[in-house]
Amino acid sequence: MMSISLLKKLVCAGLLLGLVLIPAACKPQRERPKMKIGFMNCNSAPETLQRFRPLTRYLSERLDIDFEAVPVDTQDFEERFAAGEFAFTHGNSLLYIILKENHNLQLIATEKRGQFGARTAGAIIARSDSGMKSLQDIKGKRMVFGPQLAPTGYLAQYNLMLDAGLDPERDLAYYAIPSGSYKHEKVIYAIYFGAYDVAAAPALDLEVMIEAGKIDADDITILGQSPIIPYCTFGAAEKVDPQLVERFRKALVELTPETTVDIDGEQVKVLKAAWIDGFEQLTDTDYDLIRSWARRANMPPYQKF
Amino acid sequence: MIPGDRFDRVLVVLLLAVLLSLGGLLATQARSGAGAVTIDRNLERDLAARARLAFFEQTYAPVLSLQAAGNDQQALMKLEELGRRYPGEAHGDILRAASLLRLGALPEAVAAAVRAVRRNGDYVDRDSPFSQRPVIEQLVDEGLSSLAEKARLAPGNATLGEALKNVYYLQSRLAGGCE
Repeated sequence: MMSISLLKKLVCAGLLLGLVLIPAACKPQRERPKMKIGFMNCNSAPETLQRFRPLTRYLSERLDIDFEAVPVDTQDFEERFAAGEFAFTHGNSLLYIILKENHNLQLIATEKRGQFGARTAGAIIARSDSGMKSLQDIKGKRMVFGPQLAPTGYLAQYNLMLDAGLDPERDLAYYAIPSGSYKHEKVIYAIYFGAYDVAAAPALDLEVMIEAGKIDADDITILGQSPIIPYCTFGAAEKVDPQLVERFRKALVELTPETTVDIDGEQVKVLKAAWIDGFEQLTDTDYDLIRSWARRANMPPYQKF
Repeated sequence: MIPGDRFDRVLVVLLLAVLLSLGGLLATQARSGAGAVTIDRNLERDLAARARLAFFEQTYAPVLSLQAAGNDQQALMKLEELGRRYPGEAHGDILRAASLLRLGALPEAVAAAVRAVRRNGDYVDRDSPFSQRPVIEQLVDEGLSSLAEKARLAPGNATLGEALKNVYYLQSRLAGGCE
């Protein structure tokens, strides 16, 4: 049987050991730098977060930075970016040009989605039984466009009409832009159900809706389609360290369909959640066609009042 | 044990003769059976190839007529619709490659052609009714001239590197390289 003296010595030794080990175990975690990424809302803030939280988590893990995803309405994007609310951006290619021209945004990488990869196009469409065969047939018709800042929902089609010698402001019966979310789908359904005669539809949305069986290829006639232009784009503020920009780019381009992150206890495929096929590194000159369209259509960043 | 009795010896000889004859009969039947199987297999293969060709000609006829009329985006939409029923079908991919090429999406066109050729080598076979050599040759020519230069100017660009690898793959298949 242990003597009381020995027992006391053991207890003291244990307490001393505890005093040494516990502080070592409770070493405070190193604080990671925090940064924000502004994601342009396609349809709604909840949808944006659902799509891009896994990607944001992936970037945090790869770059050892605590990134926060901030959903931002397209109309507010430039103002909030200029105010310094976020250092990284994700938006459409026209938004990239606006931020590049006005705020010297650095180009990181372009998103790949659909048959054209990192590029996409805008089409002018009608129902296949409308009798219309070419752009000249849309004169005097009712047209519906997508969001005004959408390069393949408005700008591409506006320019297609100008190229065909048509004035969108004079040669149509009238044109409208639907309210609310899901504008790209709404414009396609608008001609499908006869509410309008002609629609400005992104080629990507046509592809997605046909793949999902929402419409058939034979339901639609394409009266004209623009050349392909870059799709949605990641950028970084001018003040962001170019080395960090390069690491960010590398992290994006190295994403594969099998890359997963843990979100709320679930292993989520990063690209699948974001509706993306991958990322590609383009150059700023790849966006020049959109610049020429924006100038011609008197659109931002070149608008003159 | 050698049978001593003459009658037994005769019986053994007759038994051996019957056994040998049976063996010979079986061998002959097997040979002629194998020949019949070979003929049947050739017939089945030829029938399957012709049926496949006729099926593709009928199924993808709308795509071909849209492409001939220059409506490549419409052709791509039709391929998307056919892809719902026949996902991953090589013939859809090879036709898609042709339209993507004309619409200026060269890396995607090359990737589609690679998917098609990996699944069906007939597309590079000059003598096959499925041959699509002209399209594939055009993809290789344009790939080598434009993608190679872009890749040279941007050596770290992984997408261009991948696209160029695809071009080289098609080039080697055209030259008769094996998978």
